[in-house]
Amino acid sequence: MIKISNLHKSFGSLEILKGVDLEVEKSEVVVIIGPSGSGKSTLLRCVNYLEVPTSGTITIDGQTITRDVNINTIRAEVGMVFQHFNLFGHMSVLQNITLAPIKVRGMSRFEAENRAMELLTRVGLKDKANVYPAQLSGGQQQRVAIARALAMNPKIMLFDEPTSALDPEMVNEVLEVMKSLAESGMTMMIVTHEMGFARQVADRVLFVDGGKIIEQGKPEEVFSHPKEKRTQDFLAKIL
Amino acid sequence: MSIPFDFSLIIDSLPLLGIGALVTIEITAVAVAIGVMIGLFVGIAELSRYWYLRIPAKVYVDFIRGTPLLVQIFIIYFALPIVLGVRVEPFVAAVAACSINSGAYVAEIFRAGIQSIDKGQTEAGRSLGMSWGQTMIFIVIPQAFRRIIPQLGNEFIAMLKDSSLVSVIGFEELTRKGQLIIASTYGSLEIWSAVAVIYLIMTLSITRFVAYLEKRFK
Repeated sequence: MIKISNLHKSFGSLEILKGVDLEVEKSEVVVIIGPSGSGKSTLLRCVNYLEVPTSGTITIDGQTITRDVNINTIRAEVGMVFQHFNLFGHMSVLQNITLAPIKVRGMSRFEAENRAMELLTRVGLKDKANVYPAQLSGGQQQRVAIARALAMNPKIMLFDEPTSALDPEMVNEVLEVMKSLAESGMTMMIVTHEMGFARQVADRVLFVDGGKIIEQGKPEEVFSHPKEKRTQDFLAKIL
Repeated sequence: MSIPFDFSLIIDSLPLLGIGALVTIEITAVAVAIGVMIGLFVGIAELSRYWYLRIPAKVYVDFIRGTPLLVQIFIIYFALPIVLGVRVEPFVAAVAACSINSGAYVAEIFRAGIQSIDKGQTEAGRSLGMSWGQTMIFIVIPQAFRRIIPQLGNEFIAMLKDSSLVSVIGFEELTRKGQLIIASTYGSLEIWSAVAVIYLIMTLSITRFVAYLEKRFK
């Protein structure tokens, strides 16, 4: 579903990603962990070209992203959930969810709103359709953001530290939604610090440090028997 | 010695001054409306990654903000006809000068407003597959617009006062009407006082209206 080869990304003279190779299968849930500044968010943001790679190729569902390919068509197939939700503050919850399906997919308002209500029901917020983001708690906003991304019927969902900006008591409601999404067979790449969640949901855990994938494997392998010294140090600090 | 102040002169002049005030409002409203349109495009052009949009926009803004409105009025009314070979009507010259002037200030307001919108808003829009243009039109500009309402109000007030400068090309707005009345009545004290009070009433009304708009959009 996703194939990344020899991905490099530099910001000026600072090299963040130093050659990443990664393949993600359909319906696979890949969790990326690693210290801050390791490049895990940059890696995720390269997948939908929010960051333009310095070199290397990214192929999504058989389509290699280049400057000539219409990047918007590929982005429409890749949903993204951000640390700070990034809901559109001037629009109601319903408008947030229906905007892209109407403008990008050319869906009718009626159809888009029906679909939005389905998704809001799925994330447990159907009674919040007509309120504005500022009136919601962080956990609710993030669930709306997930519904907004799902409204495009993406083939892949990217999560960039989706619970890092939340109060502790709201983390679970968001993780529950993500868990049911994983169970429904969605292909997901998740950057997170929630190790318990990673252990439960991930098919594969990647440990990234210094712009490279240091170690990867099934969650119990990586968490219980890390092979690399750097993974051991990192896990010892956070677990 | 008592200062002679003839109130009846003001009362008698009110109809003419009223017409002048309406003309002032008209030219200001038209100039700011056109200025907002110019400013929106120029403001976006200033943020463009294409130099052939960015540089002309910057040159325009710098030139207008770096030269007096009075000189710009003279250029459009007196100098431009020499180049074009046609006479420009005072109203056209007045509106053109004020619009072009206002556009440069509004461009800076829009540029700052757009830059003040969190980058995450653009990223969210783009990540959903929307084009740069769609993201600007549906997400960034509506939010920037709400945020810059107070500055646009200030621009309107500034333009309303600066529009008095077009009196120099004989365009009969409030200030010019005052001059004409004084020319036949010699009532400098009364008429200039009245003109000042009328400007004040107009600017204060706009201030109130903008405060109301700001509250509504909150």
